[in-house]
Amino acid sequence: MSEIWIYVENHFNRVDPSSLQLITKAKEIANGRQVTAVILEDHDQDFENTVKQYGPNQILLVKNDNLKNASDETITNVLVDLAQEQKPDTILFGATVTGRSLAPRIQGRLKTGLTADCLDLRFDDDLLVATKPSYGDNIMCEITCPKNKPQMATVRPNTFEAVVDGSSEPKINEVEVTVDVDPRVTVSDEQGSVSNTRSIGTAKRIIALGRGAQSESIIKKANELAGKIGAIVAVSRPLTDLPEFSHEQQIGQSGNTVAPDLIINLGISGAVQYVVGIQNAKTVVSVNTDPKAPIFDVSQYKYVGDAEAFLDGLIENV
Amino acid sequence: MKIIVCLKQVPETNNVKIDPVTHNLQRNGISGVINSFDVNAIEAALELKDRYGAEVVALTMGPPDYEKTLRLAMAMGANEGVLLSSRGFAGADTLATATVLAAAVNKIGGADLILFGRQAVDADTGQVGPLVAEKLDLPQYTYVSKLNLSSDGQIDAVRMLDGGTVRVNGDLPAVATVRSELNEPRYATPRNIKLSFKKDIVVYDEKDLDLDDSEIGQAGSPTIVTKVYTPTATPKVTETLEGSAKEAAQNLLTKLSEKSIL
Ligand SMILES: Cc1cc2nc3c(=O)[nH]c(=O)nc-3n(C[C@H](O)[C@H](O)[C@H](O)COP(=O)(O)OP(=O)(O)OC[C@H]3O[C@@H](n4cnc5c(N)ncnc54)[C@H](O)[C@@H]3O)c2cc1C
Ligand SMILES: Cc1cc2nc3c(=O)[nH]c(=O)nc-3n(C[C@H](O)[C@H](O)[C@H](O)COP(=O)(O)OP(=O)(O)OC[C@H]3O[C@@H](n4cnc5c(N)ncnc54)[C@H](O)[C@@H]3O)c2cc1C
Repeated sequence: MSEIWIYVENHFNRVDPSSLQLITKAKEIANGRQVTAVILEDHDQDFENTVKQYGPNQILLVKNDNLKNASDETITNVLVDLAQEQKPDTILFGATVTGRSLAPRIQGRLKTGLTADCLDLRFDDDLLVATKPSYGDNIMCEITCPKNKPQMATVRPNTFEAVVDGSSEPKINEVEVTVDVDPRVTVSDEQGSVSNTRSIGTAKRIIALGRGAQSESIIKKANELAGKIGAIVAVSRPLTDLPEFSHEQQIGQSGNTVAPDLIINLGISGAVQYVVGIQNAKTVVSVNTDPKAPIFDVSQYKYVGDAEAFLDGLIENV
Repeated sequence: MKIIVCLKQVPETNNVKIDPVTHNLQRNGISGVINSFDVNAIEAALELKDRYGAEVVALTMGPPDYEKTLRLAMAMGANEGVLLSSRGFAGADTLATATVLAAAVNKIGGADLILFGRQAVDADTGQVGPLVAEKLDLPQYTYVSKLNLSSDGQIDAVRMLDGGTVRVNGDLPAVATVRSELNEPRYATPRNIKLSFKKDIVVYDEKDLDLDDSEIGQAGSPTIVTKVYTPTATPKVTETLEGSAKEAAQNLLTKLSEKSIL
């Protein structure tokens, strides 16, 4: 039976949410294909326990202590061996830094096509049709790989929702393989950033600050409000220059994609590179002194006026 | 020490339109500029030139006007520019692009480090760097925000992940793709700009690189773009919050709680 493989990525001993989102999406479009989650882990790890809750048909499991802190090169060796032996029809990765690094390496060795950073996937008969944004999300294209197998894609995190599915118990297929460790590269332990970006990517509520809301007192108040409503403070790119913030909190094309239930944009103009990062937000509120600010075009609620005064109003009344 | 920096030229604006009749992208008339992340790659190479006297070769595949991007790299301080240009290269996807770049790296005689930008801002795949690494069987250091080379042939880098960082180190030669956090690119100096126009640019085509027609351009590309369109943004209905900041904030909180958003 033809199979869709999902590479299960992990960081800090947790399964990356993008992998779980892909399992749900793959099941939705599978149409008779088998959805297989591929897990590479060491003997202290048990990612299969998390993954099975999301109901893939099968888990292909490799447990080997050489997989601790494995390099891209080592993971490629293992995945390529497995793929050459089992011949999946399709392989999907989250379009994370890790997925975007591994997938092309594997693509190169399997001599096939790879579509990047997809926003949608479907099958037309046997062909995987992947929707890929480009030109800063101004243009969409559909891309297929008709002559080569496997068909491969990386998919933008937080585009689909991961849904727990206990309707059937996945089969766990543990395989013994030799793990060819690439001796040229040493990977150290991952270091988490102070505020985990994962929490930005998966946060339900976000207060976003831009160049019109960057004073120390606003940052302090934004953090205060965030504490009160269980939100996280994020920023547009210019504010990553401030000592309080880094790339980890940046929303946008060259930062993070977010998908909160609520985002409050304070002093953000709404450049396309910013807006692409919030297009999956459910409710967008924006405050800006400029009545013509483009951010208002993508907002459900707008207030034309001073960001700090509005922030004061929120803190007082929440 | 020898460093090759791979550069792509991209449309100056991402505001491209689709021809309503042919459904092709209208790229005519939009002038090309160097991909912004590639400027960080040049800077990384030049820092190694300053420190170790490394020789820096700028490499690009594209139509003849990509010369502009090579000149910029030389004006910043690169020693040489190599242009890979041929009708046969047109329509390449990332695999076919990497095939040509890898062949060119070999033609130039290899390097200790081959640098790439993290991704091109137009097509935006970030795949070419890892693909070239794979084709040359070299280790890859992708999305790096710190990069150090030592004179005894070691590379030490920090890769920025989505939620953290990880240190990766090992032996040269290697491939690295760089983030904008890595450095602040320098400006071209008037002297280097002048010098850059005195330098010849080497041009290679598929014959020079000993590549078969089936490996390059459209023929060598497994992926096909079957449809191009402008996304129809579902217009959001915007409600204006009236009154003083305090009133507006109050009003918002009421509405959000009615909808169980807050
Ligand atoms: C390749 C590339 C990638 C990029 N990637 C990103 C990215 O990932 N993320 C990103 O954010 N940007 C990115 N940018 C930059 C982007 O183009 C914009 O420059 C940036 O988003 C602007 O940030 P801003 O809205 O905070 O600042 P500005 O555009 O300066 O806007 C500030 C706004 O604040 C308003 N304002 C001023 N005072 C007040 C006040 N007292 N109260 C309320 N409002 C006030 C102003 O009216 C204005 O609208 C990228 C650019 C490029 C070229
Ligand atoms: C709208 C659109 C969507 C596309 N989607 C895909 C896709 O999903 N999959 C796919 O395989 N192809 C795709 N392509 C084809 C792809 O754009 C080309 O193969 C391109 O030559 C390289 O890919 P990139 O622009 O994504 O570069 P990236 O891989 O993002 O570039 C990374 C780095 O590689 C180097 N580099 C890239 N191109 C060159 C070059 N020509 N010369 C020297 N160095 C270079 C630069 O250092 C650059 O910073 C698409 C093209 C278009 C127009």
